[in-house]
Amino acid sequence: MMLARVADSLYWIGRYVERAEHVARLSDIMLTATLDRAETAAQVARIALSAVGEATPEKIANPFESARALALDRLEGNSVVTSLARARENARQVRDQITSETWERLNLVHLRLSGATAAKSFNDGSSAFLHDIIADLHLFKGAADATMSHGEGWRFLLLGAHLERAQLIGRLLEVCFGRGVEQLDHPTLTAVLRMSCALEPYLRAYTADVRARPILEFLLLNAEFPRSIRFCTDEIEAHLSMLSRHAEAVHVGPERLAGRLKARLQYADMGEIERDGSHAFLEGVLAECGEIHRGVYDAFVAYPLEMRLPA
Amino acid sequence: MATAQRSEEIDRAMAQAAEANPPYDEMHAPDGSVRPHFAALARRLAAMDPGELDERQRTLERFFLLQGITFTVYGAESTTERIIPTDLLPRIIPADEWARIENGLTQRLQALNLFLADIYGERMILKDGVVPRELVLGAPSYRREMQGLYVPHQAYANVCGSDLIRQEDGAYAVLEDNLRVPSGVSYMLANREASKRTFPGTFRLAGVRQIDRYPDLLLSTLRSMVEWRPNPQVVVLTPGVYNSAYYEHAYLARLMGVPLVEGRDLVVHDNLVYMRTTTGLRRIDVIYRRVDDDFVDPLTFRRDSSLGVPGLFNAYRAGTVVMCNAPGTGVADDKAVYAYVPEIIRYYLGEEPILPNIETFLCREPSELNHVLANLDKLVVKAVGASGGYGMLIGPHATTAQREEFAAAIKADPENYIAQPTIQLSTAPCLIDGEVDTRHVDLRPFILSGEKITVTPGALTRVALRKGSLVVNSSQGGGSKDTWVLAETGVDPS
Repeated sequence: MMLARVADSLYWIGRYVERAEHVARLSDIMLTATLDRAETAAQVARIALSAVGEATPEKIANPFESARALALDRLEGNSVVTSLARARENARQVRDQITSETWERLNLVHLRLSGATAAKSFNDGSSAFLHDIIADLHLFKGAADATMSHGEGWRFLLLGAHLERAQLIGRLLEVCFGRGVEQLDHPTLTAVLRMSCALEPYLRAYTADVRARPILEFLLLNAEFPRSIRFCTDEIEAHLSMLSRHAEAVHVGPERLAGRLKARLQYADMGEIERDGSHAFLEGVLAECGEIHRGVYDAFVAYPLEMRLPA
Repeated sequence: MATAQRSEEIDRAMAQAAEANPPYDEMHAPDGSVRPHFAALARRLAAMDPGELDERQRTLERFFLLQGITFTVYGAESTTERIIPTDLLPRIIPADEWARIENGLTQRLQALNLFLADIYGERMILKDGVVPRELVLGAPSYRREMQGLYVPHQAYANVCGSDLIRQEDGAYAVLEDNLRVPSGVSYMLANREASKRTFPGTFRLAGVRQIDRYPDLLLSTLRSMVEWRPNPQVVVLTPGVYNSAYYEHAYLARLMGVPLVEGRDLVVHDNLVYMRTTTGLRRIDVIYRRVDDDFVDPLTFRRDSSLGVPGLFNAYRAGTVVMCNAPGTGVADDKAVYAYVPEIIRYYLGEEPILPNIETFLCREPSELNHVLANLDKLVVKAVGASGGYGMLIGPHATTAQREEFAAAIKADPENYIAQPTIQLSTAPCLIDGEVDTRHVDLRPFILSGEKITVTPGALTRVALRKGSLVVNSSQGGGSKDTWVLAETGVDPS
């Protein structure tokens, strides 16, 4: 049992931290790609920008400015600094519910990003700066895992993180492969793997055979890689079914949706997906993630009061 | 009300007035020797070089920033967070002095609780003419809604933080009682963590009394307010994350292991109070509320309050939930009622007050009014309803015109004014810009009352960071430091 508002905040901390990490990584890869051929750089910038927002020709043409905006622009809704400020604001509201170790990590990375020296650090060495941010966020997750009780609150945190991750990777795949799978060159495909932090695990699974189809298969259906959509839906389902066990009221909504989505990915067939078009499949997955999000709200946070008065 | 001197002007005037009499020095005797209870610290300081202290100060500030022990400053361009200035050097109180403080505060709170039970009950003290009826019933902090309500153990002010000062001769006196929603206890606890890190050896040898049971004691005090249900559900009610004391609310909730709720988390149904949880509505028994009376229930008090819970006061009246502190306790820390506290102690307990008040003249009494008007050049005059230096006259440093203006205002509305002699605060060593220097301090101990009264052996020592200033409020440039209460008297630990 925990306050509905607290569950809501923990869920959003999970989402915002995941989003911040993803955007920081995309921003870094976009910058690294500028060292490549111009066409590749533009292609990578287009993918990264479309995956987290809008890719205008102007933004694609100025990757350094775009990367800086993704990292540090407070007016940009999805920027790293915005997401972390929101995560930290939520954490402040549930300061009594998270351990000091967990709080400290998040507070530290927030202070580093919003501090007066952030812009200078980014200009002096953007890659190192972004790399440190990502490492800090990993420390946050580690601290949460190692110091928080693995109870209801922790599950809401992880539910938010995995739902967000499924949607972020889903959007990335949609941008890359939604219109067919064989249009991207080798450096771009490698960049896509890096964007999902999947390069090394992919190479171990498929060797250095970097092609679009196995990449899509790996990021959609791999059972063990923590950023594949299948892995995320397994986690979403597991956390939701444990959360519902705490609840006295029977609410079929979000668990049913999560179970169905999990089964869909577990038993999916790559041949079928290709035949029906990866676009339709990804659209379906993203839509169901959205429904699970709404279901979580209806079941745990914004339920009508008259239904829940004790007898 | 007369046009008051401006607040910086008042600060300066108070400091000048205090200069006339040398303050009590916490660390040094008048002959310049170090007082015995400060001896070990003095030796430690002499052995450290200033750079070392400075470095520890920075470590401490970083620790506070990391922990989020900050308040937020909202600016036009950007929002920044600042830590509350904390001084590394502890203030030390020997055991015999503390015993007197503890007894005095216990006695005072006992009497004030009895006073509150009486004025919201039979009103004997008013009928006996010990305290003027209109002074109590006319006070804005008097809540007639509390009339006739049963309060367990007659514990109205469950958490009290009284401000003590030391006058020139070193005698402790009560400057003010805070019976509404006193804050600062988290700084008392955080300062202790800091000073343990800074002076571990000195701390260990000194025999400092523990304060870390405060959250336990607070929780058992709150629980003792429920007599009808085992294992009552306690919550801390905060105005929210934008409140300057939010860190403290979260800190106490975390250390007590109880939910920190906001008004929007609570609902009242059939006079029962519930919180909205992930598994439906859960009943609540005790609310440690850090929201002012005015804002707890928009149906009973201020209608424009969005911080409170509609219907909460009715549930409280019905006895299904306890609010700590009780609404209406503010009437007992009113500036004019303050003057009667010694009489209140004598009336209910038949004892002489252990801790004196600052001498206070009530302009409502004709004889005292004449004394005040005749001595305006020696007194500090305050408007009863104002706080924070507004509506104040520092007689010795006001111009003749200002004094005349005030005299007219007092004559026009004597009930609204009180007068006190200029006060003095003791000084303690502080680390200022890397050097040890002295600054004025006061003392805020915390007293809990439920089934019984407990005084935590420690306090928040507030520091006026500007040289010579007597203003210790954190909103006006004050800081704080740890307070060591020694277990035994006269032991030199070296």
